[in-house]
Amino acid sequence: MPNSILSSLVKTTGPLIESGLTMADRMLGDMRSLVRDCGNLGSAGPSSPAAPGQPADLDAATSEFANRVLRLARFTQFNPSRIAIACQDLSGAAMKSRPPLGLRDWLTLPAELPLSFATLAIQEGLRAATSAQATPPERWVDFLEFVVEVFSDLHIYFSLQYNEELERWRQCVEERPEDAAARLELGRTYMKCGLFEEAARELEIAAKTPDLRRRALYERTVALYRCADYRTAIRDGTACLALRPKCERTRYWLWLSAQRVGGYPEEVPPELRMKAKDGCHPTALQLDDVATEIGLDKVSGGRGTTVLDIDGNGYLDVVIAGAHAGCSLFHNNGDGTFEDISLGSGLDQCVYGFGVSAGDYDNDGRPDLYVSSLGFYNGEGRLFHNNGNGTFTDVTKEAGVDFWGPGFTATWVDYDLDGRLDLFVANNAGGLFDRKTRNRLFHNNGDGTFTEVGIEAGLHTPWPTIGAAWGDISNDGYPDLIVSGMGRAQLFRNNGDGTFTDVSREAGIDAPAIGSAVFWCDIDNDGWLDIIQFTYSRPADAIYTLRHGHGPANGSPPRIYRNNRDGTFSLVSDKFGIIGCWGTMSACAGDVTNSGHLDLLLGNGDPSIDRNEASILLENDGSGKFRNVSFAAGLPYTGKGHGVNMADLAGDGRLHLIVASGGLYPGDLQTSAVYRPRSPLGNYLNVRLTGVESNRDAIGARIKLRAGSRDQHRFVSGGSNFGCLPYEQHFGLGEMTKVELMEIHWPNGHQQILEDLPVNTTLGLEEGKPGWRAIYARK
Amino acid sequence: MNTDFKHTGQVVDFALPPVCGGSGRLSQHLMSRQGAVVVFWSGVCSHCVRYDAYLNDFENRNPGIALLVVAAREHESRAQLLTALSQRTLQFPLLHDADRAVAHQWFVRQTPTAFLIDANRRVIYRGAIDNFKYSQDPDCEPYLDAAIEALLGGGSPTRPETATFGCPIESIYYTLPKPLSP
Repeated sequence: MPNSILSSLVKTTGPLIESGLTMADRMLGDMRSLVRDCGNLGSAGPSSPAAPGQPADLDAATSEFANRVLRLARFTQFNPSRIAIACQDLSGAAMKSRPPLGLRDWLTLPAELPLSFATLAIQEGLRAATSAQATPPERWVDFLEFVVEVFSDLHIYFSLQYNEELERWRQCVEERPEDAAARLELGRTYMKCGLFEEAARELEIAAKTPDLRRRALYERTVALYRCADYRTAIRDGTACLALRPKCERTRYWLWLSAQRVGGYPEEVPPELRMKAKDGCHPTALQLDDVATEIGLDKVSGGRGTTVLDIDGNGYLDVVIAGAHAGCSLFHNNGDGTFEDISLGSGLDQCVYGFGVSAGDYDNDGRPDLYVSSLGFYNGEGRLFHNNGNGTFTDVTKEAGVDFWGPGFTATWVDYDLDGRLDLFVANNAGGLFDRKTRNRLFHNNGDGTFTEVGIEAGLHTPWPTIGAAWGDISNDGYPDLIVSGMGRAQLFRNNGDGTFTDVSREAGIDAPAIGSAVFWCDIDNDGWLDIIQFTYSRPADAIYTLRHGHGPANGSPPRIYRNNRDGTFSLVSDKFGIIGCWGTMSACAGDVTNSGHLDLLLGNGDPSIDRNEASILLENDGSGKFRNVSFAAGLPYTGKGHGVNMADLAGDGRLHLIVASGGLYPGDLQTSAVYRPRSPLGNYLNVRLTGVESNRDAIGARIKLRAGSRDQHRFVSGGSNFGCLPYEQHFGLGEMTKVELMEIHWPNGHQQILEDLPVNTTLGLEEGKPGWRAIYARK
Repeated sequence: MNTDFKHTGQVVDFALPPVCGGSGRLSQHLMSRQGAVVVFWSGVCSHCVRYDAYLNDFENRNPGIALLVVAAREHESRAQLLTALSQRTLQFPLLHDADRAVAHQWFVRQTPTAFLIDANRRVIYRGAIDNFKYSQDPDCEPYLDAAIEALLGGGSPTRPETATFGCPIESIYYTLPKPLSP
């Protein structure tokens, strides 16, 4: 069947299939309740608690079994001599997936087991149905391969069992040295572990087998690049690309290697070369990587970044989380340089952090931190109370925010406007066959504890969730929630009584997507918050964008939804000139050029070890169009930006672009970068709000600034995707030398107006208190 | 009273069982040397493998500096360490911090984490051995070597501390309710 017909068919039938599956899920749920009720009629006692290493219940067990079978299918080489071992493995998987069963459970098991598998199949079917709608048919196989590899690898690498994995492939190669496929996998596993020289050796041997030559040469090109042997990488890349000139990924790695030696050597034929067209739009902005100079060059699988003032000295400090690593806490020395004070801070004990969000939940004037954990696995997010002396105390359990799940985005919000920050945690899927872990909304009880109210509040999400952010659809002051992930984005309107209504469909933002980061900002400065949702793009689309300056016709560029001011949104990415496809994992908005218009910074990549994608800076040219100025401004061609952030770290009006880089695999370590404009490009004003009746961080406040008869709008966010921007709001003013008016709408409804404010300074404003105080002027 | 080096700048002496003979006491290794490098390490850490040759050759390159490698990963047995030593022909002095007491005292969370201390056990450098680049990479930053050079030259390193990377020495995930084989 031609792909276009298949695509139309999927688009037509997809929503119907989704509705059918949702209905079937409900029916099966009812049947299970009935079965359980019948079981409860007997006299049997409750189930015994799960032992360590055992799934907690039947549903967890069926998921666990399916995940194990997936791993077996991927890692077992099926040939007749291994059938016995495969059967043994399968029964081992079943045994290890066995849940704790009491007598009552045994009675109902014959009915419950098929129902449990059926509900799991429905959940997977639902994800598959939306993924199929979000992905063109010609890419299904590609996408499936990617998903299967990543999800079956994640458990191994997060739980640090890669040594067993290496040993398994080594053994295969020892037993059958002629098995080039096993050698190829050994090489790839070496790469994931960061043993690139060993990988290159194995892949060189594997490349001697004609059937696998192209694949092995490709992988070897990547390995050689990673161990800085660029000349040999070029040689292998050229040989590989000559075998299949259409392979864009090989072309890309060949190009990257050539960049490192000053350009393509003569032996690379012209038809195998490429040029970067995207990212070269002329700009006045020039960026320097100052991470080493200022002491923020952390090597890690970088994750969330948060900028906050931990000790109230006025200077902005930085927290960077890392896969496998502890969180690093960098204290600002007051001159834009940093001291690493992680040691003994408490945060250094917090390994496997994903998203990091700062919020002063007890309103004591010191921002606390929530660190979500292992967004593609299962971990325990942690709440850290700020002691005010550079140390933090883990209060997760006492506060009642402990749960086990694949926590991704964590974001603070005062959703009921009681003056206390509540916490929302978005949960992804921990395994390909894991059931959706509920997203959590923790209501702040005001005594240092929280109560989870997600279900009562009506925040039901069937999809694995990655991105989440709070904004305001209608400027009614009540924070509304957008979530994004593998499925349909959901927009929850705050009813003002502690509950929410899912208005995604009528709002027009629920198109199927392999969604990632999402946030709110007033992209067109009209006083109404817009939504930007980022989506997964496969590497070939990102390379296509790099070569052509726009994404392919069937690609998936970021989605800009403009607020129509009537509860609906319009997709306007094209109008804003956002036509590229990137694997965006993290993004934020800020006025880097001090022009009075918000620019966008995108951290890109995916977990694959052979994906090394540049961060992208989209400059707003003031006419409503974004231009990709990344490379023209000095950003590098490579990266894997997980946590991106923008902050005026030196207090001189220059927004620094902070990019925490690195991937999932132990071998995919990169150094965090901080890009600073070489010189300020315009005047600015930084504003920090302190709530009194409202929450102290003023999360949820809206600010309108008027300079030169032009308005700018900001919304104080409590975090989105991998981290949170500083609460300090940065306004670029260009050549304006005076701010005529600033209007603040505090979360509790108070309005405050200030006039004739100075420029090139950082001001502090307190709720209900007239005037302002200078925190510091441009240095 | 704080006895940790974060507050005093000086590490306390320790004695750990050597895996293959020799002395397990830090102060003995420091005798008649200008300093010592202590690397917290694991036989199964893939990042540590990258430094096998570096550590094997360390004392030849730095005769004035002692090297102590401390195996500190949870659940890693002496037998496993011996296997790693023999399979990878590792020749450096290896000590076993089986209960991770020294690692905790030294705030170590990951392997490899390197410390450079002077003869008075003052911490001169703490952090990563380098920035995980190969030596032929123009972007390679040999943090530890630079610190050793500074110590031997009578100065202070420009980078006395870097963030570490690597594999956690202990984690709830080792007792995860999802053992993964098969």
